[in-house]
Amino acid sequence: MHLGKVIGTLVPCVIYEGMEGVPLLWVQPLDKNQQPKGRAFVCADGTRMAGPDEIVYWEASREAALTLSPSFVPVDHAVIGIVDGVQLDDVQPDGVRLDREET
Amino acid sequence: MNLAKVVGTVVSSQKEDSLTGLKFLVLELVDERRKATGASVVAADAVGAGVGELVLYAAGSSARQTRVTDKRPVDAVVMAIVDSWEIDGKEIYRKGRDDGELSP
Amino acid sequence: MILARVVGRLYSTIHHPSMGHKTILMLDRLKANGEPSGGSILAVDTVGAGAGQTVLVLDEGNGARQILGEADAPIRSVVVGIVDEIALSGAEQCDVRATVGLRIRGKGSGAGPSRGDESRDMSTASQ
Repeated sequence: MHLGKVIGTLVPCVIYEGMEGVPLLWVQPLDKNQQPKGRAFVCADGTRMAGPDEIVYWEASREAALTLSPSFVPVDHAVIGIVDGVQLDDVQPDGVRLDREET
Repeated sequence: MNLAKVVGTVVSSQKEDSLTGLKFLVLELVDERRKATGASVVAADAVGAGVGELVLYAAGSSARQTRVTDKRPVDAVVMAIVDSWEIDGKEIYRKGRDDGELSP
Repeated sequence: MILARVVGRLYSTIHHPSMGHKTILMLDRLKANGEPSGGSILAVDTVGAGAGQTVLVLDEGNGARQILGEADAPIRSVVVGIVDEIALSGAEQCDVRATVGLRIRGKGSGAGPSRGDESRDMSTASQ
């Protein structure tokens, strides 16, 4: 799974059967510091609740289709959840072990 | 899914047997600002798209999750024809109004 | 599978039902020598990994669903192990100072302590 930001919406006029009514969102992938990374793409919204400017997490590949019902649909990117917050730890763990090793 | 413009069709007479009956489209990839990215791809058609239309296509094993591509050697399928989209609250494309050339 | 290091957590209340109360970790991808390779990835935790720990991530859907025991979970990345040590063979030079916490042994380089020390370190770290 990866972080992304919803930057827009897309409306289809014809869509594959079984996907009618599924929201389609433009998602800009983000890195862990929530800076844009890579090109935007269109996601099916598995939560059906995400909207523009929200930070979401998404999955690519066939697992994306599993967010929908029926899941036998040609979907390769889907929003799995809406992010409340990301806690980044300033990790210097196990550093004790390294110090001990150097002495 | 990625966005693309249908720029042509592919006709093949010698192919894997299971591909018989599929329609193949040549797609030119387009970004969210309606600019061509320079890449192109050949995709099977599951929705009846025509040349000039902007479409969404799914790639990878997801592309085999349609009735026409199930268990066939296909890795890209057109699964929607686009009516409109907006980015940051601004409508970038509407079918009928913005047809024709892509943004420079 | 890929090597990664836990650098944070993601919190979410609106999500696909299968996410339930699963812990989602933010991970830095690592190169074979334990240095960050630049990318990051979110994965579901199954082993109770904590911040800073080097972990093994399964990045494939079928296996992930088997481990979670959920046939229809849209999950591809799962933390399946906590790494104690990586042994690299050949002439590869391993600078343990370049890594945070992870102890790497290059064959013949003499870096790294004996296995006895290793296990004692791990027990200390987990307390």
